[in-house]
Amino acid sequence: MKQLIDFRSFYAGIWKENPIFFIMLGLCPLLAVSASLKDALGMGAAFMFVLAGSNITVSCIRRWVPSHIRIPVFIVVIATFVTVVDYSMAAFLPPLHRNLGVYLPLMVVNCILLGRAEAFASKNNIINSALDGLGMGLGFTLAILVIAAIREIPGQGTVFGINILGKNYTPFLIMIMPPGAFLVIGFLMALKNRIGRKNKC
Amino acid sequence: MNKKEIITGIVVLLLVSLLSGYLLSWLYGATRPRIDEQKKIEAARINREIFPEAASFSDVTSEDSMTFVKVFNAEGNAVGRVFDIFPAGYGGPIEAKVGIDKELRVKGARILSHTETPGLGSKITGMGFLDQFKEKAGTSLYLKKDNPEGTVDAITGATISSRAVADGIRKLQEKLSGAEK
Repeated sequence: MKQLIDFRSFYAGIWKENPIFFIMLGLCPLLAVSASLKDALGMGAAFMFVLAGSNITVSCIRRWVPSHIRIPVFIVVIATFVTVVDYSMAAFLPPLHRNLGVYLPLMVVNCILLGRAEAFASKNNIINSALDGLGMGLGFTLAILVIAAIREIPGQGTVFGINILGKNYTPFLIMIMPPGAFLVIGFLMALKNRIGRKNKC
Repeated sequence: MNKKEIITGIVVLLLVSLLSGYLLSWLYGATRPRIDEQKKIEAARINREIFPEAASFSDVTSEDSMTFVKVFNAEGNAVGRVFDIFPAGYGGPIEAKVGIDKELRVKGARILSHTETPGLGSKITGMGFLDQFKEKAGTSLYLKKDNPEGTVDAITGATISSRAVADGIRKLQEKLSGAEK
């Protein structure tokens, strides 16, 4: 049994149990919206909010939800938070909402959200579940930002939309197209495995 | 699974869904006016970009299965219209606004949303491409490669996206000038 407040639930998501590099779930938005840093940051923030919100709610109601209907209940909770983000973003950040497009509502079926609700929030107290959601959300945000940086700089010659490589730079187009995302994730996975192995020796 | 478990399951799921539905309907009501307003601001900004000299615009009107706003000058005379068109692109419908002046020439065009290939088809939003339609009418609105009288250069590597926009604008212009085949 974990303590009342265990900060390890927060740190775990950032590196040791990073949703992207270690659990390897939730790759869909990662592939789709990592072509620019701005979109990646927006997606990361939305993700963190939904993850923390659904984790807290699931943890609150965990005692009253019979185990045979827990999955539909979790999905309803997640869908609610995703819709909250969807509406709020459409109202207050329309350009970002337009860029994220269909990938924002698609968060409902993201495995990481259901995964954390099922594996963590339904078994832990509210504070630890909130910490887990924030940590996992931050881990996801950092991962998507790293990938977006590796794609946006060569792919468009810009950082957060600001040109850094000069007018005469010819963009390396494949990086901002879907294959670029697969290439970057593949190389980063390989790098992560290499680091992981070194630590073990 | 006994009867009691089934009933608790139904009740819990119903309560959760009801609560969620209630929350979302409240949020929908709270954000909808703002979302509509944002869309209007965006549309008004684009209308203004296409007709910078206009004094005022009418409300959105529909006629003959076309949606448009009328554009007025300072004296209150109609100087043109801005139409919404939705040509089918390479990756889905393209949402665009096309300004048509009194002489039924294209005044300007803007792409509102599209799902074309990033880096190739997405260049249809660039002014280098869209400015080619300015002041033109009739067959000169074809892509150069589609018609000997065409004057529009397609974007390299994005012929289908370029053709979608050019055909969308041309068909609108032809419909208005009665030259529709």
